[in-house]
Amino acid sequence: MSSHLNLGVIRRILGLLLAVFSLSMLAPVAVSLYYRDGQAELFIEAFLIILVVGMLMWFPARKRHGELRLRDGFLVVALFWCVIGLAGAVPFALADDPKMTVSQAVFESVSGFTTTGATVLTGLDALPRSILYYRQQIQGLGGIGIVVLAVALLPLLGIGGMQMLKAETPGPMKDAKLTPRITGTAKALWGVYLVITLAGVLAYWLAGMSLFDAVSHSFTAVSTGGYSTHDESIGYFGSTAVELVTIVLMVLGGASFSLHFLAWRYRHVGDYWRDEEFRAYVAILLSTTLITTIVLMLTGAYADPAEAVRSALFHAVSVQTSTGFTTENFALWPGVLPTLLIFTSFVGGCAGSTGGGMKVIRWLLVTKQGSREVSRLIHPSAEVVVKLGGRPIDSRVIEAVWGFFAIYLIVFTLLMLALMGTGVDQITAFAAIATCMNNLGPGLGEVATNFQSMNPAGEWLCTLAMLLGRLEIFPLLVLVSPGFWRG
Amino acid sequence: MSFAAIQRILGLLLMVFSLTMLPPVGVSYLYRDGSHGAFLTAFLVLLAIGTLVWYPARRDRRDLRLRDAFMVVALFWVVLGTAGALPLVISPKPVVSVTDAIFESISGLTTTGATVLTGLEQLPRSILYYRQQMQWLGGMGIVILAVALLPMLGVGGMSLYKAETPGPVKDSKLTPRVTQTAQMLWVVYLTITVACAGGYFLAGMDWFDAIGHAFSTVSIGGFSHYDASLGHYDNPAIEAVAILFMLIGATNFALHFTAWRSGRFGAYFSDPECVAFLKFMATISLITVAYLLIDGDYEDTLELAMDGTFQAISVGTTSGFTTSHYHHWPGALPVLLIFASFVGGCAGSTAGGMKVIRALLLMKQGRREVFRLVHPNAMMPIRIGGRAVPARVVDAVWGFFAVYVGSFAVLLLLLMVAGLDQVSAFSAIAATLNNLGPGLGEVAQNYASLNAFEKWVCVLAMLLGRLEIFTLLILLTATYWQK
Repeated sequence: MSSHLNLGVIRRILGLLLAVFSLSMLAPVAVSLYYRDGQAELFIEAFLIILVVGMLMWFPARKRHGELRLRDGFLVVALFWCVIGLAGAVPFALADDPKMTVSQAVFESVSGFTTTGATVLTGLDALPRSILYYRQQIQGLGGIGIVVLAVALLPLLGIGGMQMLKAETPGPMKDAKLTPRITGTAKALWGVYLVITLAGVLAYWLAGMSLFDAVSHSFTAVSTGGYSTHDESIGYFGSTAVELVTIVLMVLGGASFSLHFLAWRYRHVGDYWRDEEFRAYVAILLSTTLITTIVLMLTGAYADPAEAVRSALFHAVSVQTSTGFTTENFALWPGVLPTLLIFTSFVGGCAGSTGGGMKVIRWLLVTKQGSREVSRLIHPSAEVVVKLGGRPIDSRVIEAVWGFFAIYLIVFTLLMLALMGTGVDQITAFAAIATCMNNLGPGLGEVATNFQSMNPAGEWLCTLAMLLGRLEIFPLLVLVSPGFWRG
Repeated sequence: MSFAAIQRILGLLLMVFSLTMLPPVGVSYLYRDGSHGAFLTAFLVLLAIGTLVWYPARRDRRDLRLRDAFMVVALFWVVLGTAGALPLVISPKPVVSVTDAIFESISGLTTTGATVLTGLEQLPRSILYYRQQMQWLGGMGIVILAVALLPMLGVGGMSLYKAETPGPVKDSKLTPRVTQTAQMLWVVYLTITVACAGGYFLAGMDWFDAIGHAFSTVSIGGFSHYDASLGHYDNPAIEAVAILFMLIGATNFALHFTAWRSGRFGAYFSDPECVAFLKFMATISLITVAYLLIDGDYEDTLELAMDGTFQAISVGTTSGFTTSHYHHWPGALPVLLIFASFVGGCAGSTAGGMKVIRALLLMKQGRREVFRLVHPNAMMPIRIGGRAVPARVVDAVWGFFAVYVGSFAVLLLLLMVAGLDQVSAFSAIAATLNNLGPGLGEVAQNYASLNAFEKWVCVLAMLLGRLEIFTLLILLTATYWQK
């Protein structure tokens, strides 16, 4: 069996990808013409540049039609996000309003595609409409990409134990070859994604948003991205209805899209409650809300319990699903709350969702494994099998989950130290890396509302953190391991 | 659960522990510092309580079972740690609350080295001596625990690996195993301590300071007679002695025993954990010195190198001595060193942290996971020193790591609930969980400014760290108390 990387096929795919992606520049052109904000030329330029680069990559490799194998999968996943991240930066780099450095442009673009939602921009309300639309669109596209990545690719590649999900994916998932598997899943899930997004647009519009805002925020709520067209994020609207719609969309975005597909296909709403991960996901959300409400009330930050619950629920959901919308600056909340919330972003959304973090299912497994270790101390000879949803989990999967957990934390620590090395203080560094790696968005300290004050080296580190988190570390780690490039 | 056996042992421990109140009495008479009353009182009280506890159960000669061992270990540190607070509470100087006294005592017995006392130079000599002695005893206790007991209990994966490394005990029954270990190792421990004291004396300390600091160096404790710790001397020779004996203290004592017995130095270099430990210490020192060269404000390069190396090793081994105020060093350096303390020293040593062997195993396991992604069908056992590590051990190490980090996060949040800022909370828990001592922010010099609740959280952290989390946690599970 040849283990050479199929570089030709990979080049062809990436070239095609860029060419297709260039078309997404046309929608902002339309928006620009509609609002007459003078940015149409900018996006046409970007369209042409990306199209040409894509063609140049695709053309020499256009006849290469081999099959992609496992090893290629890692490279494709890693390159896909890096290449798209760079391509998406082109309009930002070319733009005059806002004026951005290259590192800022890449940061903003990658923050979009990884649906992180951390922004280097301020004064959003005054920016050209097409630029604002473009940011929202990036997150919408990123969300779709992530769903396919999370439901089809990562389980197949066996990232961090995700192969345990293989048996559960819908559609033509029994196919072992990579390409049909991806396209089959993609088609199944894009339908679901589109339906939820459209429902979101409608709901926002009925709740009182303008059509522009409704489309914009639906894009970034379902993708759990968190970009907004306003500096004050969802707080701008000051509307309970808007907040409720947002909460629903975020919860949906942070749940498994396989589950959504199954529920939709077979009309079984009960499927949600039967899923162990979903139950844990909801339980954690509610616990965080409860603790937050109690602390808010006890410290006197809120006098009215209803208001406390409203804000606690919104932010608990927003942070854990790694969306990052805010109705107020939670970094200013009393004492333990900001840190507690940032900690919950490490839990993240469900596997197969657009959410970030380590994913609920891994935490579930780690907890079960942990309690098994404790009982093993007392009953060393007992054979205890770890089960999920009633099915036993293979020890290989368990080891992979452990490995993921440990490496995630170590990478976090190293990035945080590196960021401190560029001169950033401890709290900001901790929050910046956490929020980027978990694809959350807002942080604490200097990065509580935006990353404008981040130094250039720091911006690159945070961009790296975003990619590592979104790709679940290993695809990038594999690329730098010597064994990968050898035969 | 044989309560009687546990009771008997606990009573005996208290009685023996009461005897340790007597040397401070001697010191008190020698220096005429007026605290002899406190120690005599403590001696009598503890002897009486110990006897009362032991007497009803004195005939129970059953061997301890595995389950009982957890209880005994936990009780040793909790009960003796609390008992050790007695002289501090009774003594007219220093004036401390009960919380403070217990904090200081447990910080001593767990060889953490975090202190709530200030103005150490003005305290009675016997009190200063007593603190150092607590750490020395705690160090001896942890060595016996780590070499004899923890492998049998299988805590955090230490079972099968350690049972196979050359060491003093082959007996598998609990009580003879512990007593044999104690007999073999106390000679090694004592010899090293004497050598350290000699080293300090030759380097310029007076004999009182030399003995006191030898106590807290070999036990990787970090208590000192001075607020400024070893920085008080500003003497590179003393720092060099400290570096040597911190490294020795943080090495597996079973290894010391084997090397001594067989007379071969090579034993150290054929132990994978010891080699990894030394490499890690060298790396941390190098990074520290390099960072200081680029970004620090030292005038003398030699002083910079000495300070950097000393501080790196002090924090890395979880001793906690300070020469300069390392928390004022540039940028990421103090935080980097605190993270290094999570690795800590070797298993079977007096050091804290998660232990080098676990870090080694975690690294190999991590690398294997990356390898497995590309070669899903490859069979790859984890090997240390050429021998394959059983899957059960690998699992246990993972579990330990997760619980350690989880405990850290929960304790950190608890401190912040009490009102402490994030930087202080982070370093306070890190420094107590890893049995390091000094932290950053509000706990850089001492823990005096914390409120009572915060101090108790730190006490809990010290105990959890010393007992490797599971030993304490297991007492809270339902499974433990079932038949």
